[in-house]
Amino acid sequence: MQKKFTSAALGQRIGLVCSFVALIFTFFAFRLVNLQVGGHEKFSHLAAEKHGVKQPIAAVRGNIFDRHGEILAVNVPVRTVYADGTHIKDPLALAHVAAPFLGLPEKELALKLASKRPYVVIRSGISELDATAMMRALEESKLSGLYLQPGSERSYPNGKMLSHVLGFVDHSGHGIDGIERTFDKELAGRDGYRHIEHDRKGLEIVLYRGQEEPVINGTNIYLTIDMGLQAILEKQLDSAMETYKPAGATAILVDPKTGEILAMGSRPNYDPNHYSEATPEELRNRAVTDMYEPGSVFKVVAASGAINEGIVTENSTIFCEHGSFLYGGKILHDAHGDYFGDLSVRDVLVHSSNIGAAKIAMKMGDTKYYEYVRRFGFGEKTNIPLPGEISGLVNPPARWDKLTITRMAMGHAIAATPIQVVMEIACIANDGKLMVPQLIHHRDQEKEKMEPIVRREIISSKVAEIINGALIDVVARGTAQHAKMDGYSVAGKTGTAQKINTHGGYLEGRYIVSFAGYFPAEKPRIAGLVVIDDARIGSIANFGGLVAAPIFSKIGEASARYLDLLPSSTGASVSKENASSPSSSIPKVEAP
Amino acid sequence: MNRLHTQPSNRRRTNNGIEVPLLAQWLVVFFMLGLLGLFFVYLKNQQHALGEQTRLVEQKITELRAHHDALNAKVTALTSRGALQRRLDEKYLDLIPITETAIARTNPTSNSSEEKAMRTASFP
Repeated sequence: MQKKFTSAALGQRIGLVCSFVALIFTFFAFRLVNLQVGGHEKFSHLAAEKHGVKQPIAAVRGNIFDRHGEILAVNVPVRTVYADGTHIKDPLALAHVAAPFLGLPEKELALKLASKRPYVVIRSGISELDATAMMRALEESKLSGLYLQPGSERSYPNGKMLSHVLGFVDHSGHGIDGIERTFDKELAGRDGYRHIEHDRKGLEIVLYRGQEEPVINGTNIYLTIDMGLQAILEKQLDSAMETYKPAGATAILVDPKTGEILAMGSRPNYDPNHYSEATPEELRNRAVTDMYEPGSVFKVVAASGAINEGIVTENSTIFCEHGSFLYGGKILHDAHGDYFGDLSVRDVLVHSSNIGAAKIAMKMGDTKYYEYVRRFGFGEKTNIPLPGEISGLVNPPARWDKLTITRMAMGHAIAATPIQVVMEIACIANDGKLMVPQLIHHRDQEKEKMEPIVRREIISSKVAEIINGALIDVVARGTAQHAKMDGYSVAGKTGTAQKINTHGGYLEGRYIVSFAGYFPAEKPRIAGLVVIDDARIGSIANFGGLVAAPIFSKIGEASARYLDLLPSSTGASVSKENASSPSSSIPKVEAP
Repeated sequence: MNRLHTQPSNRRRTNNGIEVPLLAQWLVVFFMLGLLGLFFVYLKNQQHALGEQTRLVEQKITELRAHHDALNAKVTALTSRGALQRRLDEKYLDLIPITETAIARTNPTSNSSEEKAMRTASFP
């Protein structure tokens, strides 16, 4: 027996047991390594499926400001209140506390809360302040079962003002119209996400946060719009709508040197906070989506082109056929019952002679005239960053008949958008350089503002100066005397065109009247356009000079005071006292 | 004699098979490993606690930011042009004209004959 317990035998036995234990541990170790390393992918995937979720992190949409930092579009945090029926013990008590915050009748709420479902949406769009107050009240009452989901709504604090430029976003936060649509990608930013794991209570285990894609918040955008000027413009548009009861009205103010849009408005308009209530007519930004025959405003093109080409000078004499010009088998008349004989090119503009303008264009010839029409930007988009811009309608000479050039010279047989017309007049105010209209002043990250872009130089500065002189005369002694502003010289051109009948021809007694001009004429700071579509006023008084020009004058005067512009030193057109016109007084409104 | 001499020494070897220094070494190693394990568990717990704290702070920040945004939006709405115009119309607010003598002008004045309104103070 003693022999059995010899050291060698004992050592053997211990060795055997140890080897066995080591084997077991080796097996477990191997299995552990196998599970941890070999099966890592598989098991981490299974765990992630069971406990992990990809938590989206919503980017904050950028705000929109005017050029001075006034807020135009902002995000308002709102909450969706939902109930977890499995956590609700006393629906009546819960309804009693929560109902006042949710704006729901207590009985109706109690009925909803009685459901045992784990997710019942009670109400969405609850303001952050109401929601937090409700949660505090529930906490104090030691009630549970109502929870909040974060979200946000877009708010436009100025309501209808500038609605066509700003546009709006839909319920999912996508830009649908205006700047909100054009710069949707920039404003929206990029949503991020994070892989997270939940514990049994559904709370995130921060320790196990996985891969993360950082959120990129939307860019804040500063527009070139000056809300001071916008308020002035909108006030006058509202006043015009009340006075003349037109089908529509549009006004635009531009900085002619940079092409920056300072103010833009159309009527009818809508409130982007309640865009679903707006009619298609109200949603239209007439400044860029509508085209119309510009009328006599377009005479500037023929005069500028002909002088620039050396075909005529400002003093060249044009025989105006005493108001009746037979050409191509049709008689062309001058408006206002004027019977002009010889007129200088300058006076053709001043008195807005149709026959004079037609003859100037005919001297240029079809091709050259068409070239200038296109060079002034008609028939092509201005590339203003607003959706729905159209290019207008300019037919090439190949599709013209003999009369087209005579009609086009006086702003018929062509269709232009208001933005094209205002950029045309701004070109004269900017020494003949046509600018690209700008709406973005700068973005958040950019320290410097956007650079002005010259689209093309159409006429020499010398010719622009000649046309400027003629346009000053148009206001001083021509058809636009009601555009005069106290203290400031104004240059501009009126436009009156019959409305096109959609069934062909023109609508009798219905006009689109306009005035395009700028001030102070000697050193232009603002160029503008006022278009009144189908004013309810007698035909005898429905002229650009009588309807649109006074509106321009009011906008101009208030704008000059707002900008504290230095008054003009020239005396001719700086006083309203000597204003007279073919029909001297502002016409009365017809009963609607 | 030989047998007598050798037997006790063999017995001693058999009875004192466990080598204390070696055992102590192993014990220290195991103790250290145990301590390391405990420290690891402690660190994990700390991480969890800090993670929980992080989550709560993040939640608080989110709530505060939302509250801040809500108040900002309210201020914006109350100071918007439309709201101020309404207040003016309701006579809740009033604009008091600055007397001509209280304005230092760099440019000569030009009043509107129609509205009899003065020019504003210089705009930057």
